[in-house]
Amino acid sequence: MPRLLAPSDRPLALLILALALLALLILIGPVIVVLVTSFTTSQALRFPPPGLTLRWYEALFDPARSAQIHKAAGNSLLVAVTVAAFSTGLATAASLGIVRARARWARAAEGVFMAPLVLPGIAYGLATLMFFSWLRLPPSFWLLVAGHAMIATPFALRTVGASAAGLDTTLLDASASLGASPWRTFRRVVLPLIMPGVAAGAFLAFISSLDNVPVSLFLGSAENDMLPIRMWGMMESSLDVRVAAASGVLVAVAFLLLVVMDRTVGLVRRMAG
Amino acid sequence: MLERIASPAETTAGPATPRGHRLDIDGVRVRYGQSVAVDGVSLTVEPGEILALLGPSGCGKTTLLRTVAGFIRPDAGRVTVDGSPIDHLPPGKRGVGIVFQSYALFPHMTVAENVAYGLEARRMPKAEVVRRVEAALAAVRMEAFAERRPRALSGGQQQRVALARALAIEPAILLLDEPFAALDRALRLDLQLEIKRIQRRFGVTAVLVTHDQDEAMSMADRMAVMRGGRVEQVAAPAEVYDRPGTPFVAGFVGTTNALHGRVEAREGAGYRVRLDVGATVPVESPRGFAVGDRVVLCARPEHLALREAGDPDPAAWPARLRLSLPLGPSLVHDVEAGSTEMKLHESRRGAPPAPGPVRVALSPAARPTLFPAGDLA
Repeated sequence: MPRLLAPSDRPLALLILALALLALLILIGPVIVVLVTSFTTSQALRFPPPGLTLRWYEALFDPARSAQIHKAAGNSLLVAVTVAAFSTGLATAASLGIVRARARWARAAEGVFMAPLVLPGIAYGLATLMFFSWLRLPPSFWLLVAGHAMIATPFALRTVGASAAGLDTTLLDASASLGASPWRTFRRVVLPLIMPGVAAGAFLAFISSLDNVPVSLFLGSAENDMLPIRMWGMMESSLDVRVAAASGVLVAVAFLLLVVMDRTVGLVRRMAG
Repeated sequence: MLERIASPAETTAGPATPRGHRLDIDGVRVRYGQSVAVDGVSLTVEPGEILALLGPSGCGKTTLLRTVAGFIRPDAGRVTVDGSPIDHLPPGKRGVGIVFQSYALFPHMTVAENVAYGLEARRMPKAEVVRRVEAALAAVRMEAFAERRPRALSGGQQQRVALARALAIEPAILLLDEPFAALDRALRLDLQLEIKRIQRRFGVTAVLVTHDQDEAMSMADRMAVMRGGRVEQVAAPAEVYDRPGTPFVAGFVGTTNALHGRVEAREGAGYRVRLDVGATVPVESPRGFAVGDRVVLCARPEHLALREAGDPDPAAWPARLRLSLPLGPSLVHDVEAGSTEMKLHESRRGAPPAPGPVRVALSPAARPTLFPAGDLA
């Protein structure tokens, strides 16, 4: 068996291995800690828990005791679904435009569309609040959607753009020559072929909106209370263990969605084969 | 019942009837920025005919095809079908069916769905779509593969599906864009014959774009040889081969030996030409030359013949045989006379001659072509 590394490289290999393990630890460790803590019998957020119980989940799902959390979760889900639809739509339109236009401005436009990724979230959140109040627009559902979409669209653009770039433009010519309208071409040819990217993009946009703090912090209101903000508030005031339970639910939902998406995207890919 | 009898799909099963449409390309010019891709091309494709656009890459043939298809708007000129302009129409309303080089079959649809696509876009009733799809697939002998996806088909099968899809919409004009480029050489001739047979049966006027002269020869009724955005010659394949219009055509279609010389005198229906290789030969030519003009004699390999080294004929010139290769029933000789290299093609008789000094002459029935020397680019 050939040796992969010279003896002199061994310290470097060990360092890389250590970094990888550290990264895994930092990524997975907190998730495990919060999951375990959510089953604690104690009254406060403490790790390790003295005993295990489901009472915090019961409390979390109790409509009377957790009405505010439910309302915030409902708001967050509604915003996230709307943002996912909106961002994916924008990303699809932009990707197709970029793919079809060979001009240099199209490449530049792609860079501009990706720019929100590097935007400092808290600064952007503050800026949106100041901007919208200068426009005398009171905080509302649609302002939240607009603010989130700004942050979420680049995520969607990434995956949709990758799918669209792999689209054979001759297929569009073929469709047009067979008499299909641009809308029919989009519906029957383009959309099915870029569906994996669209589904992945919608998922990323949904998640990015669901756990967005900076924009929700500024654009949220009593009426549009968002889940991450509500959770933060509960943490600050009382170290409420329901926050851990809510985190557990969020992690579970995200994981479930990931599995479902992988299944469906895989399915779509098989259909495309 | 009446409807069924009157439906146009019924006629596709009938005998070959010349019901093709006439395509006129009139002074079409296409520019890309500074460069001119198509430089004032005028061509007519007769009803039911296959016209091949033949030329090297970059000659404008694909641009011209895409202009007819409606993907490119020409800067000048008109395209008409049966006399009515189609320039203002989008690709799908031109009555043009296209077989793309990559076939461009929709990968997520079955063969039947691919063929049905154009019919559904026309909002044809479902039963009619089903019937037409069956007829189109039967015409290309792909009925058994209706439920397969394109990826599960071979290249040749994909091509036949692409043809069925293009023909299902009953186009006035069929455009074939390098349809054999992606296929094995061994498969090509069979498919060329098959496509030509199907095209004949449907009576559809067709334009074939290719850079392969054999393909143009075997498929086309006439071919237009293009270079640099212009048409150099339009004629039947045999005519192009036997009487090339320009030295470029002579070199691009078939192999040619370019022999430089000077017109010595008029003689009969042509001229007596003093070749630089050291011979004086009579050449028939319809062109007008003056005595003393520099000319190029383009002779096919089969126009030349080997003679014995001691042959005293003044119409033969001294040369050296470098190599003889048996090529099936014939023999290819690689010959040089000074700096001029020549290829000769003779039928094989006995053992190949040994390399060494020989003489070369025009064979008795040869009809080489004479061009002004300036034409040779």
